[in-house]
Amino acid sequence: MAPPPASTASAPFASLAAARESLYGVAETVGKMGLIAHQIGVRFARLDFDGEELKRNMYKMGVKSLPIVVVTALFTGAIMVVQAAPIVQRYGAQQLLGWGAGFGTLREIGPLLTALMISGRVGANNTAELGTMTVTEQVDALRALAIDPIAFLVVPRFIAMVATLFLSTLYADALALFGAAYAGQFLLGVEAATFYNGLTSGLLGIGDVANGLVKSVIFGGAMGLSSCHFGLAVTGGAPGVGRAVNATVVTSAACIFVVDYFVSFLLE
Amino acid sequence: MTTDSATGGLAAIVGRRAIVLFSTGRELYSVLVRTLYYVWRGRAEPGATARQMYEIGNRSLFFLTVVMGFIGMILVLQAGLQTQRVLPDLSMLGASYLELLVRDLAASIVALMLATRVGAGIAAEIGSMVVTEQIDALRMCAADPIDYLVKPRFLASIVMTTVLTIWSGGVSILTGMLTAEVVFSVPPRTFWNLSLVHASDLATGLTKCFAYGAAIPVVSAFCGLSTFGGSEGVGSATTRAVVNSSLSVIILNFLISSTAYLLFQ
Repeated sequence: MAPPPASTASAPFASLAAARESLYGVAETVGKMGLIAHQIGVRFARLDFDGEELKRNMYKMGVKSLPIVVVTALFTGAIMVVQAAPIVQRYGAQQLLGWGAGFGTLREIGPLLTALMISGRVGANNTAELGTMTVTEQVDALRALAIDPIAFLVVPRFIAMVATLFLSTLYADALALFGAAYAGQFLLGVEAATFYNGLTSGLLGIGDVANGLVKSVIFGGAMGLSSCHFGLAVTGGAPGVGRAVNATVVTSAACIFVVDYFVSFLLE
Repeated sequence: MTTDSATGGLAAIVGRRAIVLFSTGRELYSVLVRTLYYVWRGRAEPGATARQMYEIGNRSLFFLTVVMGFIGMILVLQAGLQTQRVLPDLSMLGASYLELLVRDLAASIVALMLATRVGAGIAAEIGSMVVTEQIDALRMCAADPIDYLVKPRFLASIVMTTVLTIWSGGVSILTGMLTAEVVFSVPPRTFWNLSLVHASDLATGLTKCFAYGAAIPVVSAFCGLSTFGGSEGVGSATTRAVVNSSLSVIILNFLISSTAYLLFQ
């Protein structure tokens, strides 16, 4: 979101003015993100971006995020089972544990938590990097050398981020179900085989997996846009970079939840 | 990877990682212990704590209201779709939703959001102070940065996490109720069914609020205090704060949920 507006109005109208300012701030952010999306789209359609930079970012964002994706996914799966436990106990429906945990994980929790963690690690890091470049005038230096900063810096990062989130979600789904199966065995005494049976008994289909993966691509896009926008818009030295990172994580998280609702609604 | 890790082999890599992990854990523990010590013994600073409460609480209100409003709609939508596949009866939708919200989701999702907003804010602020040597200046004045900077944030975060969880839980109950009415035509009277919400669920939820509220500022302040290098360092400290405080929320959630399940089942 926008930096806190300076309150100029007198006391009774101050909060109203602040609300108006923050509304303007939201509109401005959305508009600028739209502009960046347009610029990325044009360059992507012309395949006008730097391949080396893409490879470097894929490694830095994708491979290096693996540990946190693994830890998050295993714990997420376990948490899903613990939350489903009372219902399973109440109805004695052990066969349904796999289905219940699987549905929630594949459709919602897997993509959502992976997106939040990746947005914290990759999105924030990307803003910090682009912000540092902006503050130290390296982006202006690129322009002075007639290198388009969008094609050179932003498009590879955007593609890498979307790809990272898609692949991490795929990986996290599998690991979360694995974690859920063994948490079910240790905490509830439901055999892992029973869990896998519940998972594959026909109540869940490829549609549920695809639903989560479509979401992950859209989350990746929202995250990439907000992190590149705030990175390039940094002003004011080291504290400015800190503020931009803060704004990125907040905006990405808000975008992820808002988009999630509409995608769930449309894809049902 | 660097060249020395290639020559050192796998054991060296694992060993180095383990040592880093252990020393990080020890430093984090020391920040926590010193924070608790100063809460007990330090100077009373109601002004600083109130300022942090405004910063952490009031400034997160809009963000959390939006996010939790959408969470309420998403959860009821997905739960309804899931139930429709096996049961035609949606009358227990509200009761299960309220149970899950009170026991886990309200506190955990609010904490994940606060870990990004508040965690990043604390790390960025303290990190900039480290980079501009203001922390060293504080030490020169014989003021421990933990007492002066971390303690007010710690107290404010514990109070405000609880308050914000209660508020945003209310928001997501309202939006969930609305979704149930509009999409699945479950009337609000049927939805508002507290028969599955027990005292143990409430206790679990509040314990989570307390634990998350304590963990987020300690982890983020630790990341902020260990900043080095200029504006790049502040950026990476902020990133680490967000990732580590989110991870700590997830791990605490698992620990508290399974303990509560084993205690109350």
